[in-house]
Amino acid sequence: MFDVIVRNGLVVDGSGEKAFKGDVAVKDGLIAAVGEVSGPARREIDAGGRVIAPGFIDPHTHFDVQLLWDGAARPALEHGVTCIVPGNCSLSLAPLKAADRPKVVGMFQQIEEMPPEAFTQAFDWSWEDFAGYRDAIARNLSINVAPLVGHSVIRLWVMGEAAQQRTATPAEIAAMQDLLRECLAAGAVGLSTSFVDLDEHGRPVPSRFADFAELDALSAVLGEFGRMLQCVPEFYDVDITIARIDQLSELSLKHAIPTTFSPVFDNTSTPDNAPRILARVEEQFARGARVWPQMQTRPIDISFSLLRPSLFFARLPRWVRVLRQPLEARLHSLNDPDTVAKMVEDLGPDGGRKMMGGLIVRGGDAAPAEMVGRTLGEIAAERGQVPAQALIDISLAHGLDVAFLAADMGHEDTDRIGPMLAHPLVHIGASDGGAHIASFSTYGDTGYLFSEFVRKSGRLSLEHAVRKITAETADIWGLKGRGRLTPGHAADIVVFDPATIDRAEERPVFDMPGEGMRYVRDARGVDAVLVNGEVAYLGGAYTDAKSGVVCV
Amino acid sequence: MDLTPQRRFVTPLAGERVEDLAARALPDEPLGSAVDQIRSWNLHIFAMRKPAGLILGSDVVFVEPPRR
Ligand SMILES: [Zn+2]
Repeated sequence: MFDVIVRNGLVVDGSGEKAFKGDVAVKDGLIAAVGEVSGPARREIDAGGRVIAPGFIDPHTHFDVQLLWDGAARPALEHGVTCIVPGNCSLSLAPLKAADRPKVVGMFQQIEEMPPEAFTQAFDWSWEDFAGYRDAIARNLSINVAPLVGHSVIRLWVMGEAAQQRTATPAEIAAMQDLLRECLAAGAVGLSTSFVDLDEHGRPVPSRFADFAELDALSAVLGEFGRMLQCVPEFYDVDITIARIDQLSELSLKHAIPTTFSPVFDNTSTPDNAPRILARVEEQFARGARVWPQMQTRPIDISFSLLRPSLFFARLPRWVRVLRQPLEARLHSLNDPDTVAKMVEDLGPDGGRKMMGGLIVRGGDAAPAEMVGRTLGEIAAERGQVPAQALIDISLAHGLDVAFLAADMGHEDTDRIGPMLAHPLVHIGASDGGAHIASFSTYGDTGYLFSEFVRKSGRLSLEHAVRKITAETADIWGLKGRGRLTPGHAADIVVFDPATIDRAEERPVFDMPGEGMRYVRDARGVDAVLVNGEVAYLGGAYTDAKSGVVCV
Repeated sequence: MDLTPQRRFVTPLAGERVEDLAARALPDEPLGSAVDQIRSWNLHIFAMRKPAGLILGSDVVFVEPPRR
């Protein structure tokens, strides 16, 4: 007797081989049979007209904190994602001494745009070491988790304040090695580091104070376990990114470890950059290095209101300063003509026409209906104002609760990006799931892969697209026994309609602790998701299944 | 496969200041012009960073101008 049989589907098994009609049977959390399966099961799921595929794996997320109150990492799971990698970009919630918590919360807030309430209102922060964090999330998991440990927190644990002041001594490096070893033994899938990020005070994060010898020493420990080194390179500069590729390659070859970096964006204004990066990756792979560039499927867009600071203003320090103040002080500043004059001046002689003229007023909040869907440029011209001034005035008139969308900020040319996603050395990922939650939706990139690059442009076959986000991902990360519909593998399964799978429109929801807002995209065309053999999502609803594990 | 030559760089040694680094990277140049050149090739450290010129252990420091 099988536990579950998913019947009569088109089996796309993750290998990239041609799809075939068949059934997938599950027993004791594992795939038991694939093909024409006879015999009874406790439960049958009809997959007629649907694809049966391995669950998708999302290798770049920041669900570290959300997992503490939401073991499904909603809405990732309903999109068919059955395994996530949190702890990217040098930041994780362990190992972390109690006294250093505010520091790391500040970094999460600054870098990943996570609201502070998420760290204070929804869970009991009981652990310090990595095993403690693992146990804290493991109690409640509906999704599988392969967590990275962050270089910045490892440094902070060993060096304290000096982590953001200097390079480490040999004794400190040895202590970091021991700590990393302990984390890897406790289930960390690798180490994440960052070469670009700043903390909430504008200081480089701890990992950036590490010299190459430190990274080399930590990579040696990764080599003992064969685990991943993830990094965020200076993605805004192609020469530096290539230098980072060379450094990662050196570490990969020396210590026999996989490495990955993200993001890699394609921009039509700098059309040579992504191809140069991929050319370097090809050269390094030819030498035997494993240096996987992660590329996201979705175009870049950012939404924001003046209710909170936003990435959109990253290059306008005065705006950042004003918007980071508590509400009362922020309103005071925005009502002060001198301050506003300076803010407008910061946009340059065109008053923000170039940067803000194309912003679109979003609906769904306090935005006046007659403005919704129109550009700020048009609205400002009608008002006889420059866009920056109009932005502030319109926001003030509606309690700051007017959201603006900056659409198509890059990475949107399907004909260029399709072939890159199909490239054998490009690792599809970089969703940033669970981060930047008030700027854009980091969920549904897998649906977009199928709708845009399989159905619409045909740049990838169905089988190829599935392989890219299942078996390939599992292989790159060394997630043994996952990513394939093969007997003996974990029964992580998604059943979806190949004609309709997609991400829905982006919409704001208020489901974060403290009724915090985030943008999400619902799943379209996903019928069922099984995690380790249990049905976790079916017919548009989550079940009570808690079958997710820390799967390293 | 051979690696295509790319823009050459060094990484800072512990405690190294820009003068030390310039002398090490460009030993045949007079120190003043070596420092000027290092600064001009590394705006990510010497112009865009706050505080400007804070050298971090992890930095990539170019020792030649862009190749294209
Ligand atoms: Zn990230």
